[in-house]
Amino acid sequence: MESTLFSLAHGFAIAFQPDNLWYAFLGCLVGTLVGVLPGIGPLSGISILLPVTFGLNATQAVIMLAGIYYGSQYGGSTTSILMRIPGEASSVMTCIDGNAMAKKGRAGAALCIAAVGSWVAGTFGVIALTVVAPPLATIALKFGPPEYTALLVLGLIFLAYMSSSSLVRTLLMACIGLMLGMIGIDNMTGHFRYSFNLTELGDGIGIVPVAVGLFGLGEILSTPSHKVIGEVIAPKFRELWPSRKEWNESYWPIGRGTLLGFIIGIIPGSAHIISSFLSYALERRISKHPEEFGRGAVAGVAGPESANNSASTGAFVPMLALGIPTGPIPAVLMGALMVHGIAPGPQLVTEHPDVFWGFVASMYVGNLMLLALNLPLVGLFVTVLRIPYAYLYPLIIMFCVIGVYEVNHSIVDVWIMLIMGVLGYALRKFSFDPAPLVLGLVIAPIFEQSLRQSLIMSNGNYFIFFNRPISAGLLIVCIVLLGMSALTFILKRKDWRDKLAAAEAGEPIA
Amino acid sequence: MDRRHFVAGSAAAAVALAIRPSFAQDAYPSHAITFINPFPPGGAVDVVGRPFTTLLEPIIKQACVVDTKAGAAGALGAQVAANAKPDGYTLLMHLPSISGFADVDKLFGRQPKFTRADFIPIARLSAGPMVIVVNDQQPYKTLKDLVDDAKKRPDQILFSSSGLYGALHLPTALFMKAAGIQMRHLPTNGGGPALTAILGNNSQVLVSSIAAASGQIKAGKLKALGCLGATRAASMPDVPTLKEQGYDVQFSLWVGLFAPKGTPDAVIAKLRTETKKVVTGEQFKTAMTNIGDEVAYLDAPDFAKFWDEDAKRVEQAVQLIGRVQG
Repeated sequence: MESTLFSLAHGFAIAFQPDNLWYAFLGCLVGTLVGVLPGIGPLSGISILLPVTFGLNATQAVIMLAGIYYGSQYGGSTTSILMRIPGEASSVMTCIDGNAMAKKGRAGAALCIAAVGSWVAGTFGVIALTVVAPPLATIALKFGPPEYTALLVLGLIFLAYMSSSSLVRTLLMACIGLMLGMIGIDNMTGHFRYSFNLTELGDGIGIVPVAVGLFGLGEILSTPSHKVIGEVIAPKFRELWPSRKEWNESYWPIGRGTLLGFIIGIIPGSAHIISSFLSYALERRISKHPEEFGRGAVAGVAGPESANNSASTGAFVPMLALGIPTGPIPAVLMGALMVHGIAPGPQLVTEHPDVFWGFVASMYVGNLMLLALNLPLVGLFVTVLRIPYAYLYPLIIMFCVIGVYEVNHSIVDVWIMLIMGVLGYALRKFSFDPAPLVLGLVIAPIFEQSLRQSLIMSNGNYFIFFNRPISAGLLIVCIVLLGMSALTFILKRKDWRDKLAAAEAGEPIA
Repeated sequence: MDRRHFVAGSAAAAVALAIRPSFAQDAYPSHAITFINPFPPGGAVDVVGRPFTTLLEPIIKQACVVDTKAGAAGALGAQVAANAKPDGYTLLMHLPSISGFADVDKLFGRQPKFTRADFIPIARLSAGPMVIVVNDQQPYKTLKDLVDDAKKRPDQILFSSSGLYGALHLPTALFMKAAGIQMRHLPTNGGGPALTAILGNNSQVLVSSIAAASGQIKAGKLKALGCLGATRAASMPDVPTLKEQGYDVQFSLWVGLFAPKGTPDAVIAKLRTETKKVVTGEQFKTAMTNIGDEVAYLDAPDFAKFWDEDAKRVEQAVQLIGRVQG
């Protein structure tokens, strides 16, 4: 521990060198822009700037590139809250309550809570990274296909808490999502499924085009069909800050989201995508007012936003401690280190302490810079809402198209987004909630792959899920959760979901 | 400005605009060149392609843009390049697996979207030597130990790969054939996940590029049992080649530069000379050494000959794997 503190002090000495401070700031600034502008994502932002770092030393390069990564996680919430466009899969949940808050004139509060939650989560993530990285990383390796499968079963159970509509509607949406997730090449046998001879569908349907279509475009398409109030939501300057009540409602969700996100972020693979979904479901499960979710619940912004930020920091644990890339962005960062002649691996800490500790310390500094950058910008971002709809909405559609095209440089993705936009419109008209559809789409491919990998490992024996402690533990949690719901059902207690179903049944057809 | 000047000026501008395309025809390159990377950022093509294009820019005096078109294990980007206008402004960087797609399609009775004949090889840039590794929980000291054990319990030992018919699966199939053994395949969706699987002992064997595994090998988490190059790798002189150990298998993760079929000869010639300047230079060599690869420059005629031989190996491996029952 003492040696850790000593090393960290050494790291701060490196991070506070004027050059390194400058590159951390530059990374954070670019990251914020990348996060806010829908035309460009963190992955391409980093790879485009990779050649720029060839002239720097390894520490400066990794400080700057990592700044872009976690900076973009801060900015990602902005478009979700203001325009209901999820820039990436992890901001989908922020769209729902964040945008609902914006419609109530609380856009500034939502942005502030998102920024503060991100800061808390980011800083906690770095502290955890400093203290517990090596032992945690070893546990992360134990997370093989069977554990993944069990985690995703848990995710499927949490699906029921995702949406603001009745259980039948939620499950219907989830099923459509799971079925869409089946599209694409079967990784185990090489067969194409439902791809209609389109190579672009070989990798399945992307999450971003679906999410942007269902949420962003669907919202805009449905605007002309109801009465538009000419009044633009223009918050007064005093109202930018969250009220005391809103702060009180966000402490615990931020704490829980931070912890949950970090744990999930450590797991190698694509698990970090579901961190914000799980946080949202968790907040709703334990909330006293679950019916508020989807109508501007503060916890629905605070939890998921913190979760996705600490997940992005958690993703550095396996990368730095073990030298394994947990996702495409850590893979690019490792590529950047390799270009500078540093082989990421278990010996990175001992062989290149300057790089490791300088990098870790720069993340403390970077998180502070981001808070300082983002809070004053809240006022500026909110003024976007002053633009009349007639000008704003065409702009949003343009951003949707550019943003979706940019992810894979694929026109097919743009078509998927447009089709999903029409579907999103229809779903809105019939008051279906698209969030479970997106989660189904996220879960299906990972779930299928890890289930089949597990069965390959056990040669077809299903007991593999109970022989391994982590997966057995997760499955027991699933059983307990299902048991608790069954109990409510047996005791005939009506919960919020029944109230929703009753409300839907009595709803006049619009 | 009076009207006459205005008309004359506009006419001059119009003429200038009209002339531009004919300039473009005789001076290649007149605008930015796109290099398609068919794999996700951070992969083998990315870490070779970024330094290459950065060094090529000042020499060819045009912007060189890496366009990431990942999908279908590299087939998507290759298909885009095959269908691109053959004018030298869209080029492709690809791995040995480029040779296998057509055969995989035939295996499944699909019409191949493109074949090797759709590309003109320009140059081989680099080659990453590969090694067979086992994790530290396995008792194997040598490759022979592994082969003996695999013979005793066929289809019990697991090997991971970056995906079915992918660049890590193909050499493993060739090795299993040469050694006369059968191991169970755990496909994942990339080089990183394949490495994660073996480190967590969810698989026991992996054929990997030295670049991706060297950190783990140095830390003792993985043990290299054999090198798949023609000679031992410079970075790991202690690891004997497969040939030395009696298995006739050779495979390397090379990165090559291709142009779509029909690209004019003059353009190819220009690209060959400029590529040679970059690849044989000191800076590129340093960059390759840093990422654990080796510069393995081959000019078009030699590369074409090499590619034919390499494609035979890849096609053989695809046939060996065959259609997976599932």
